[in-house]
Order: sequence, then structure tokens, then C-alpha cells
Amino acid sequence: MGNIKDFKCTYDHSAGISPEITEGLSLTFPDAYQHADTMAVLSKRLKEAEGMDFCELPFCHTVEAEAMGGNINFGNEKAGPRAGVYVCETVEELNGLSRIDFSAGRIREVLTACEILKKQGETVVLMISGPFTILNVLIDPRHVFRAMRRNPEKLQPFFDRLQEELLQFAAKAVKSGADVLSYADSSGSLNIIGPKNMEYITERFTVPFLKKAVQITDGKAQIALCPKTSFALTGTGAAEWKNLAVQKDSSYLNACLQVKKQAALTGQMCIKNRAYKVSEQIKVLEFT
Amino acid sequence: MAASKEELLGKLSDCVLDMEDEEVTGVAEEYIENGYEAFDGIMNGLVDGMNKASDLYDQEEYFVTDLLLCSDAMYAGLDVLRPHLPEETQDEKPRAVIGVVEGDTHDIGKNLVKIMMETAGFEMHDLGRDVPLDQFVEKAKETDASLVLMSTLMTTTMMGMPEVIKKLEEAGIRDKVKVMVGGSPISRKFADDIGADGYSANAVEAVKVAKKLMGMEA
Repeated sequence: MGNIKDFKCTYDHSAGISPEITEGLSLTFPDAYQHADTMAVLSKRLKEAEGMDFCELPFCHTVEAEAMGGNINFGNEKAGPRAGVYVCETVEELNGLSRIDFSAGRIREVLTACEILKKQGETVVLMISGPFTILNVLIDPRHVFRAMRRNPEKLQPFFDRLQEELLQFAAKAVKSGADVLSYADSSGSLNIIGPKNMEYITERFTVPFLKKAVQITDGKAQIALCPKTSFALTGTGAAEWKNLAVQKDSSYLNACLQVKKQAALTGQMCIKNRAYKVSEQIKVLEFT
Repeated sequence: MAASKEELLGKLSDCVLDMEDEEVTGVAEEYIENGYEAFDGIMNGLVDGMNKASDLYDQEEYFVTDLLLCSDAMYAGLDVLRPHLPEETQDEKPRAVIGVVEGDTHDIGKNLVKIMMETAGFEMHDLGRDVPLDQFVEKAKETDASLVLMSTLMTTTMMGMPEVIKKLEEAGIRDKVKVMVGGSPISRKFADDIGADGYSANAVEAVKVAKKLMGMEA
């Protein structure tokens, strides 16, 4: 071990949309973050304002946790939805959280917004959060870190149910027309949890989750990994890089979509890096 | 035979370094029962262990999670030793207010800075995460703090920092308070541009910057 590299993240730091962007849209906040039609309007405006070639959903990393019973502060036009108070005081309490109901709440609205955007001919990137990011909304991370250090098996039931439900989310997202599933777990970075925990979570959660997610997407959507996750996969020997040819100087998203039928996993760069171009070959990940 | 002071100081330090938050309580109790000075137990035992952990963090041998768990042990030991401190050693600490600015809930880095600052002898007043900007000013006034530390991990919330500086000016206490900022999207240039007094890229450096700003030995 010890071969996992970290990726210096400078992209995943936005949540919420600045007032300049929403000017003239006649939206009220935080209401606009909660309904499919306004989510679609916001996503398109964000695409235009930031010069992106895709629409992104949702605008925060709290949707999955909210669907499990997490407390969310929905914010305003300056700062978007974020964690409110923690709903669990012990890791054992995580096992008592409700199952995700994909037919109701904001998670349903996100999927519907995806459908709306797709019908409007947009390329849709749907973000899925990893376990530490979701846990961060539900419980003080100290409890999680303690459990990871002393008895990680205590968290395994939560990781197992999360894996199952995130796979359902991925399947529904693909059905709703998502072109790219962007998977990231920035709260579980190597510099935070260390190599031992990173190895554990990669082997016990990330790899089985992604192997099944690859089957679910089945060439219909690309899974774009945060490079932190990519490095964890290659660093643990679970996956290897392979090069595939793409059109010269493609945008990163476009390059990902070009290889969608040939390879399910990309992750050499952050999907939020708008300026990044793939010269002639994109790196894809294959499980070993 | 009673354990020597040096032996128990070593054990206290090791308990912190090894994240033994249960064992440390017993060692601290034994230390006090043997009549040794609480102050030395804190500084040469618990804080020594935390400083060693901090060095390992600097060398990338320890990670954020490790430091948080080390601090659990340090605080458990402090709970035993603190009540035995003589009155005069419990004051005269520089006071600092710390928090994650409104709109952001990422507080791991902030917690780490708080721990390191406490270890270094600062009296920390932690406002938590997603802190309304006025609270920084109110707390600074209430505690007569000489430092305000703000962090954020998000570009969308970093502009709350200059607002706090402006509010400190409006409250007429800017000249009494040094302001430090940090967090992933924050740079030294941003800190300079908004008129902050200090910037640090990590928790270990934050202590050095704070000490320098306070005119303490770095």
C-alpha cells in the first residue's frame, strides 16, 4: 500500500448560484433549489453563465443524505443547500435511517429535472456523492473517523445499504436521461482519511459499487470519476489506465462521451475543469 | 513502587500520540495521585504528544483523522489534569474566535486549527460551522479576542470573509483584532486583497502565523 496519490481539488467548491446569474429569472430562493422545473431553469442558466457544454444537477451534495432523513439548510440565492444539524449522534444510529424513496422529495425532483433537461436536448451530468460526503451531512465526522479507526465493520451495514441505494439512484438517473454520472467523495479525500481508510473504503465500497454501476450504465451513460477516486482505484491496484483515441482537443466532457460505448469509467480530470482539453487520447479505467 | 514523573509524562505523551483516549484518563489520574504538577503533565505530557502528532502530520505520516483522534486523547487527559491547575496558570492566554463562514459546513480543517491553537496555548472560542457573519464580530467583542480566524472550503462563501473584516471596522475593533483566513480556495493573495493580517495553508502553519501576529515566539 501507500501508492494512492491525492489529487489537489480546486473545483468542487461551489454550491448555490450567485445572484448575478439568477438575475431576471424571477425565481425565489431557496424554493428554486427544490422543484424540478426551477432546477432545470437554474441548471441551464448556470451552463450559459459558466460557458459549459452540459447541464449539471443537483447544485449541492445533500440530496442523498436528505432522502435518508438528513437535516438540510436550503440556503438562499447566495449559498445553496447545505447540512443543517446532525441527525445521528452515534454510528449505530445510522442504521436506523430511513430508506430512500425515489418517488418523493428533492431526489425525485432532481430525476424529473434531468428528464426535463434531456427533453430540451441538453447533455446532463448528474452528480452522485460518495459515502463520506453523505455521512458528513448526517453525523459529526469525528464519530465516523473513530469508528473507521477502531472498528470499521461497525460502518459496514451503512456502506452496504448506501451502495444498494446509490446503485438505484444511478439506474434511475440513467433512465431519466443522464448522459454522465459524476461520482465524487471529496470529504473522503486521502489527505483527510489517510491511506489505510482510503484502502478500506475503496475495497469495501467503491470497487463493488462501481463494478455494479458499470453494468447499470451499460454504454448508455459515462461514469466520470473524481480523480481522487481514480487514484484510489489505481493506487490499490483495483483498476488500470488505458488510452482511447478521441477527436483532437475535445473538451473533457465531450471526450468522455465519445468513449461511452467503449469504456464506462473515466476520471483523469475533474468534470468541473471547464478549460481542460483532451488532446488526442483520453484515459479510461478498467478493473483489473 | 510509584512510577516516576518522567515515566508518566512519557506515557501521557504516548497516549495522545497513539490516540488512546481511554487509557490516558488512568495515566493522568495516576500522575495526579503521585503528586506531580498538573501544568507539567499538560505541557510535557499531553501537549508534547500532540506536538509529536503534529510533526507526523507535517511529515504526512499522520492524517487529519489521526490528529482528531489524538486530540480526543489530549482532551480526555486535560479533563483530568485541568482541575488541578493552580489559578494563576489558568489565565493570560491570548483569546481567539474561530469559525467556518456562513454558507459552508466543511469544518474538519477548522477543528484541526482549533486543536492546534489550543495546544499552542490559545483560548479558543469556537463558533462552529455555517456561522452568520455578525457572530464573528459579536464574539470577538464579548470575549475581547485578539484574533479572529475564518475558514471556508467553498468559493461561493469566501466573500463573507471581507464582509467580516468590514464589520470589525464598523464595530470599531479592527485595530484590536488580527484576522487570519484559510481554507482550500483561499490564497495568500486573497488574504492580502481583503486586508486579512494572516493566511495559512494548513493547521500547523496556522499556529506559527498566529504566534507571529501575537508577537509570541514562533
